[in-house]
Amino acid sequence: MKLLFLFALIGLTCSLVDGSVFAASPSPEPVDFDRAIQPLLADKCFRCHGPDEAAREADLRLDLRGAAVADDADGDAAIIAFDSSNSDLIQRITSDDPDLIMPPPDSKLSLTADEKEIIARWINQGASYSTHWSFRPIQKPPLPTVKNKAWPRNPIDQFILARLDTERLVPTQPADGYRLIRRLYLDLTGKPPTRGEAESFVRDRSPQKYERLVDKLLASPAFGERMAWTWLDAARYADSNGYQGDQDRTMWPWRDWVIEAINQNQPFDQFTINQIAGDMLPAANHRQQLATGFCRNHMINGEGGRIPEENRVDYVMDMTETAGTVWLGLTLNCCRCHDHKFDPLTKRDYYSMFAFFNQTPVNGEGRSAQTPPVLASPTRVEVRSLDSLSTEISNLQQRVSQLESQQNEPVGIERSQETQKLLGKPVADRNTDELKTIRDLITETTLYAKTVEQLREAVSEHRNVQNSLPKVMIMKERSDRRPTFMLDKGLYNQPGESVEAAFPVSLQTSGDAAVTTRLDLANWIMADTNPLTARVITNRIWQGFFGIGIVKTAEDFGTQGERPIHPQLLDWLATEFRDSGWDTKHLYRLIVTSSTYQQSSRSTPHLRERDPENRWLARGARFRLPSWMIRDQALAISGLLVDQVGGAPVNSYQPSGVWEDATFGKRGYRRDSGENLYRRSIYTFWRRIVAPTLFFDTASRQVCTVTRSLTNSPLHALTTLNDVTYVEAARVLATRILDESPDASNQRLAEQVFRRVLIRPPEPSELDILTNSLSRLEKHYATQGDLAAQLIDVGEFRKSKSHAVARLAAMTSLCNLIMNLDETLCRE
Amino acid sequence: MSSESKIQDLNRRTFLGQSSTGLGAAALAGLFQQDGLVSAAKNETSGLPELPHFAPRTKNIIYLFQNGAPTHVDLFDYKPELAKRHGQPVPDEFVAGKRFSTMTGKPQGKLLLGAVEPFRQRGESGAWVSDFLPHTASIADDLCFVKSMHTDAVNHAPAISLMMSGAQLPGRPTLGAWLSYGLGSESESLPRFAVMTSVSKGTSCGQIFYDFYWGAGFLPTRHQGVRFRGSGQPVLYLTDPAGISREIRREQLDDLALLNQIKLRKFGDPEIDTRIAQYEMAFRMQASVPELTDLSQESASTLERYGPDVTQPGTFAYNCLMARRLVERGVRCVQLMHAGWDQHNSLTTELYNQCRDTDRASAALVQDLKMRGLLDDTLVIWGGEFGRTPFLQGKLEDRPRWVRDHHPYAYTTWMAGGGTKPGISFGQTDEFGMSVVEDPIHVHDLQATILHLLGIDHERLTYRFQGRDFRLTDVHGSVAHQLFA
Repeated sequence: MKLLFLFALIGLTCSLVDGSVFAASPSPEPVDFDRAIQPLLADKCFRCHGPDEAAREADLRLDLRGAAVADDADGDAAIIAFDSSNSDLIQRITSDDPDLIMPPPDSKLSLTADEKEIIARWINQGASYSTHWSFRPIQKPPLPTVKNKAWPRNPIDQFILARLDTERLVPTQPADGYRLIRRLYLDLTGKPPTRGEAESFVRDRSPQKYERLVDKLLASPAFGERMAWTWLDAARYADSNGYQGDQDRTMWPWRDWVIEAINQNQPFDQFTINQIAGDMLPAANHRQQLATGFCRNHMINGEGGRIPEENRVDYVMDMTETAGTVWLGLTLNCCRCHDHKFDPLTKRDYYSMFAFFNQTPVNGEGRSAQTPPVLASPTRVEVRSLDSLSTEISNLQQRVSQLESQQNEPVGIERSQETQKLLGKPVADRNTDELKTIRDLITETTLYAKTVEQLREAVSEHRNVQNSLPKVMIMKERSDRRPTFMLDKGLYNQPGESVEAAFPVSLQTSGDAAVTTRLDLANWIMADTNPLTARVITNRIWQGFFGIGIVKTAEDFGTQGERPIHPQLLDWLATEFRDSGWDTKHLYRLIVTSSTYQQSSRSTPHLRERDPENRWLARGARFRLPSWMIRDQALAISGLLVDQVGGAPVNSYQPSGVWEDATFGKRGYRRDSGENLYRRSIYTFWRRIVAPTLFFDTASRQVCTVTRSLTNSPLHALTTLNDVTYVEAARVLATRILDESPDASNQRLAEQVFRRVLIRPPEPSELDILTNSLSRLEKHYATQGDLAAQLIDVGEFRKSKSHAVARLAAMTSLCNLIMNLDETLCRE
Repeated sequence: MSSESKIQDLNRRTFLGQSSTGLGAAALAGLFQQDGLVSAAKNETSGLPELPHFAPRTKNIIYLFQNGAPTHVDLFDYKPELAKRHGQPVPDEFVAGKRFSTMTGKPQGKLLLGAVEPFRQRGESGAWVSDFLPHTASIADDLCFVKSMHTDAVNHAPAISLMMSGAQLPGRPTLGAWLSYGLGSESESLPRFAVMTSVSKGTSCGQIFYDFYWGAGFLPTRHQGVRFRGSGQPVLYLTDPAGISREIRREQLDDLALLNQIKLRKFGDPEIDTRIAQYEMAFRMQASVPELTDLSQESASTLERYGPDVTQPGTFAYNCLMARRLVERGVRCVQLMHAGWDQHNSLTTELYNQCRDTDRASAALVQDLKMRGLLDDTLVIWGGEFGRTPFLQGKLEDRPRWVRDHHPYAYTTWMAGGGTKPGISFGQTDEFGMSVVEDPIHVHDLQATILHLLGIDHERLTYRFQGRDFRLTDVHGSVAHQLFA
């Protein structure tokens, strides 16, 4: 081998005619195939020389070493190992001849000199291939040793610090107490702390205070509400079907299931299995069936002229692709029509996965908002009322029977053959019509008549409650197996070869059990041997705390996705998550108690230059809050927030005409009033064709979305400055502060508002600006009484009469300003 | 002296005196330039550095999208043979292997339906235009008719999605979003991609305007179209709340900028600078949008040209005039969507309404742009998502209920200005207008052509998402150079 290598080097230096840039350097750095070469080949070559057989040119494929590389110079292959100069591939990519050069000019692709050099270097080192990183089994990496023993609080910090050491960077100091507690509250509950909570945290001298707080927040009901949001985005949850008609649907009991499961810290494997195949578990209970609503959250097309089977196939594709993105981080959708151009996924793999979801009785009919199978999902209140009605009914039935048996002939009843027949029927079997007939035959008011009427009312009420129960679309398995075909171009009416349910071939392991059902699929997704699930989920959880995942392309762990920036850390966290019994709160706790998380987010020109996106984490993360959290924060600090977990969706403030414009007047918006205006954002009714306007940068909830959008647009500024939601919150906050300190100076008032919103005390320069601002505003409003009166009348919440109008208006305006500070909109 | 102490040194009143004209934040931003903190804001309005790929023929586009699919055989594609064989069954060979919507089901044996109104040749060019469209007919010499359009989808939403985003399923960036991403904007006070919708009066077959028709897909959301609404405020949340005057708002924003600048100094997050710039842009929009919608400076003759609806917000005529005003103010892409063309109810009644609501204003817009010298810089496109069947859906004897179904195999779109060749009719369909027989232009070809006119190689304007380089034309599309002037 050594000899061969030497020979190759000599060959290289002698044979390169053009005095190539590829001359072997004295100590060539080993080239990592997966990191450096695979992405290049995938980008520039696989379109024609990759896994997709149909698109392959010149019968050459470069994605498999066996097909691309020959180990000796006589071999017939594009690449000769250890010998770049004799490799056709190098000659083609360095050619000057437009007919020979690869990639060809009309592909509009090209390789840079550096890229050509590294390919040559890789060939000269033997052209070894390796399995794509995310497809390799996950092994727990050893912890790196670091010199600074004081900084790391847990293994996360050791991995981060080791990387910072190699980059010659040092961590930033910890965030101060106020900023830290605000960050932690927002990250774990989606709401800021109260001032009292912040003060007692900052004053607390106990070394365990932070950990105790973390535990408290992880146990609060708000935790589930906060964490559910991203899961709803991934699950494309909405309260209407989408498409033309956009009928309302009732999936919110499923949404409440998610919140509850997260709050109960349901182990993530159960959480997954319940949602993919809860209906197929032995003796599946109501909750497990309800969980499968996940699969049914797809859009339903009610457009005239649509063919039901075409819809049905669309739905199954959506289920398949959603599962692929959510748990496996794979973009299966490319394989609808052809083998994947870049990843080792084939069209056969796609339809084999499709086959798992192809066994439900869903028929593709688009007109009904609740296409079967559905599950009646009573709330706790409804369960109680059904229970008590049932008890009442059985009591009344007994009384009626007793009365009938006591008297041979019920008093005052007209006798006829029909009456006799009715009375001969057991009481429990009589329906409301029959009970009414009996009641109407009684001419006098008797105890019997009264009891029959009570029974009729109770039975009718029970039926009404039963009929009004929300019906949630869920999964069920057909009794007979529906055959699955590979569809030409993904078209429902172009079936090709038939396929059986199976996992993607490149992800199968020898230990896999025989598979046929959705439950098998769910178990395989959560199997310890699955290399993707733990990495994909861990990365998304990380993304929630740092703004960017360890793999930036959270939606794509395939070969075209980003390689992890901290690969060892990701694998360590993934194994820790898996080995903890999929204890999600354990993972959250690890992250937020790390020193890495607790760093201040202050940056320096040096750090910005070295690491503009903060991927190495030499500083804390700072990013804008999701718009729903900006609203929840405004409601919380003003005291408007109504903390009630779960229930039917609500309609908060929205400019008039938005639904009407989008639906030609077919769907009118009816705003709720009272408490429903101030529920947490997660309970806002989500019309799929026109999402609630007060949120921005949200997933559309039309298809699965696992990445976050954090843009910065003037339209966002208009929303948080002008929407009645925010102006009302400013007014109520202003009132509250004035109620607490009616005689305070402007400086004191400004400080109070600032601390209520941002928790920390203002800097003198900040307080100066705000105090002056308040004084000027007060002067404005003192001379413009009409304006002042209008401002303190915004929103439905009760108006305060205990403060001077100009003063309250000035304070409202100041609150409006402070609620739009960059810091207010961000977690830092 | 550090920037921070410069701020403190500034006499506050002097500073605010400047900033009440909106200069404050900009002046302050200048103080930070040396620290490399001010960069993102500039990029907000600029496009990709590599664009344009070559010299553009035009700068802006106005897409007059006719939602619901206008009937090509009644409006543009003159077929004497269809009239001649009116009422006879469609020959099998014309429909063999073709898929139609479930409303038609099997096309075999359906009866051919001649054009409802007569056609005439118009202008010097002799283009055939139906009497349904007298105003469009009068500017035929300015138009470039593409009679050989065809598409893949047979239902509205997928077909419109294909036309706008290059893919039938929702989720890809639309044409306007691509242009916003690639070319940026010339306006600092208006959105770069504007959308307006309207519906024909009394239509019985309306289609919904889904927001993915102007969505940004996986591009940053700032590239999505901003819908100017036909009722209420033209842009959501545009007006200050009751009780906040412009003067108070200005002072609020000045203080907000000061506080955010302090933050920027301390935390060094360049997003803060962008935020300051966006709040200023929001303030400018609050002034520029009302100015945009104030028609008091339009001459009586201009208003007359667009027709009586022009002063009614939410009508197609109003939107057409607004499109011109937007383009004049530097907005790159204006997408009008007009619904009501889905003639499942009646060609003999409702089609007249559709034409009445759109014909005059469409022609007026082209003339108005031409008179102002804006037509070369602006490409106007008029067309729908597919055509309508040359055969009848309904009963021959029931003339009031004559109907045509969806037809993806052939339809007409016209373009004006923007470097297209005026006065030509390009491409041909068979004797019934059933299929394209010459110079077919697929949806992706039209998209490639539009991008080319704007100086963009459709294969090189790409965005990486989920590991793939996506583009408007998917993996298809070729530029129809024959359409260029």
